[in-house]
Amino acid sequence: MNDAKQPQSERPCRKVVGLSETHREKLSLLRKRAVKTWRIYSKNRFGMVGLAILLGFVVMAVFADQIMYILHIIGGWDFAYGPFDKVEYPGAGTPPSSEHWLGTDQWGFDLLSRVIYGSRVTLIIGFVATLVSMVLGAGVGILGGFWGGWKDAVLMRITDVFLVIPWLVLMIVLAFVLPGGPSVWKVVFVIGITGWSSTARIVRAQVFSVKERAFVERARAIGAGDMHIVRKHVFPNVFPLVFANAILTVALSILSESTLSFIGLGPQSINVVTWGNMLEDAINASAMQNELYWWIVMPGACIVLVVLGFTFMGHALDDIFNPKLRKR
Amino acid sequence: MNRTAKFILKSVANSLITIILVILLNFVLFRMMPGDPINFMISNNPKFGDELKERLIDDFDLNAPLHVQFITYIKSCLTLNFGNSFIERNTPAMDIVMDNMKWTLILTGTSSVLMIVIGMAIGIIGAAKRGGKFDSSTLTFSLFFYAMPTFWLAMMLIAIFAKYLEWFPASRAMTIGATLGTSWGAISDLLYHLVLPAASLTLVSIAAFVLIMRGALTDVMTEEYITTARAKGLSKSKVLKNHAVPNAMLPMVSLIAISLAFIVGGAFQTEWVFSYPGIGWKTITATYDMDYPVLQAAFFIITLAVIVANFIADILLMYLDPRIKTEVG
Repeated sequence: MNDAKQPQSERPCRKVVGLSETHREKLSLLRKRAVKTWRIYSKNRFGMVGLAILLGFVVMAVFADQIMYILHIIGGWDFAYGPFDKVEYPGAGTPPSSEHWLGTDQWGFDLLSRVIYGSRVTLIIGFVATLVSMVLGAGVGILGGFWGGWKDAVLMRITDVFLVIPWLVLMIVLAFVLPGGPSVWKVVFVIGITGWSSTARIVRAQVFSVKERAFVERARAIGAGDMHIVRKHVFPNVFPLVFANAILTVALSILSESTLSFIGLGPQSINVVTWGNMLEDAINASAMQNELYWWIVMPGACIVLVVLGFTFMGHALDDIFNPKLRKR
Repeated sequence: MNRTAKFILKSVANSLITIILVILLNFVLFRMMPGDPINFMISNNPKFGDELKERLIDDFDLNAPLHVQFITYIKSCLTLNFGNSFIERNTPAMDIVMDNMKWTLILTGTSSVLMIVIGMAIGIIGAAKRGGKFDSSTLTFSLFFYAMPTFWLAMMLIAIFAKYLEWFPASRAMTIGATLGTSWGAISDLLYHLVLPAASLTLVSIAAFVLIMRGALTDVMTEEYITTARAKGLSKSKVLKNHAVPNAMLPMVSLIAISLAFIVGGAFQTEWVFSYPGIGWKTITATYDMDYPVLQAAFFIITLAVIVANFIADILLMYLDPRIKTEVG
């Protein structure tokens, strides 16, 4: 990785790509910072456990087909069940067996494959909803903190509204009121719009302190515009904070999805499978009364593990990026 | 004193603005529904007839232009009268909500006290021996419960303690036919039914209190006055009790206010799983029944309660930490 030392003339293609000396300098700085952060992070036991859990689930989501294929060879089943492959009657609502390790649900879908494939949509909802929350939260926080004055006051009152309305109440009302039936994108929108307010508050506080620092004043003194300062100075300084917060928000978003599904306002299990709507199905089919405990325990346990993974990671990152603000 | 008055005035103003925004949101949200709300709900609910539809449109001025509707709506907010429920046709929605409110207060009140007291105790002991066995195990445990969907934990508790061990009832706030009272029988019946719902609500929310108390105390312990207190010969436990803990209480107060909104969310789920007849149970039922007045009344009252609680916390913080006045003012 010592490209920088080689004379430019020997590597003409580099020039075409447009990696100038300053860019290269920046990249190597970025790399150094990442390595340093990783060193601190890897010493955090909670953080590493969280990362391991999450990697496990990401592998499960990406390679769901292959995992089911391998399991079907191990278990000696007729074929590798997918989440929408119905088992022949009387295969509906059965307890665990050698053919269906977690049993089947009321329509005769194999629950093990549903748990494994369910990781896909659950994680996607968690990530995309978080993206929505972070764009909103960081946007409002940066603008409010940067502008100050009455514009900030207006933004913060709006933030307060979202902060004081109990999230579940707002989610229920929104999911109920928004047009169209329950769909993945509606759920993503509802979760995203209810989850940004605390991020906005934290980011704003950070922006206020960044704004006062000398380098921003220097930049302003040599004539830098607002956009430039936000892009080059404010944003890079709040980004780590937003990142740590995003990890925690993914955890909350996944919990929110399961809760919405549980109330019956989540995506419907006929179209997509999430752990949340598996639980919803289980409740609707009285799994508890019929003693089909695995049906309730497994999707729930997956949610707990994933959320725990994200929470561990989030707190580890929070410790690194934000030792002071932990108080909140 | 002048500054105090200014601070209180500012808090009042902020709370009022928030309330006004919530009222606006409540109006806009319920008129965002495709078509007019009454038609939308009646077409979705076979329980309603044409005659009811006429009356509802009259009651809510739904044929009037939007600004007239808005004035009617503001009036109903100020008088706390959101009209009669769609389901229990002769009962005002607000009466229904208030009736359910007492159960929610019992449930959230008990759980809040439990989670604050236990969470603080764990946080203090953990911070005193940071990184020790007790600290890391309680931290892991509280985060483990924090990671659980509230309704799922409630279901697990039912499966273990109500179905398998048969120690506690699985649903309702009291035995059928029993009424709330001050007799021993009524109170023990109430507590007996309260154990599992309160336990699930407390367990899922306790992590925040443990983390904040532990974090705040660790921060305080690095301050110079703690070193001074130790240097003048006070024992570690005395320093903790008289110097560190009182100063670490500030973040706790603001956390209690902030987490109220989350506790209410948790209470919704617990109430639903345990068929506990609180405001959360009523809201979810109203969603299924499309009982629009009840939904609106519940939304308004819950948010109002949280705003008022936040306001009280603001004032309390000001007395605990006079520096805040200068920061805000």
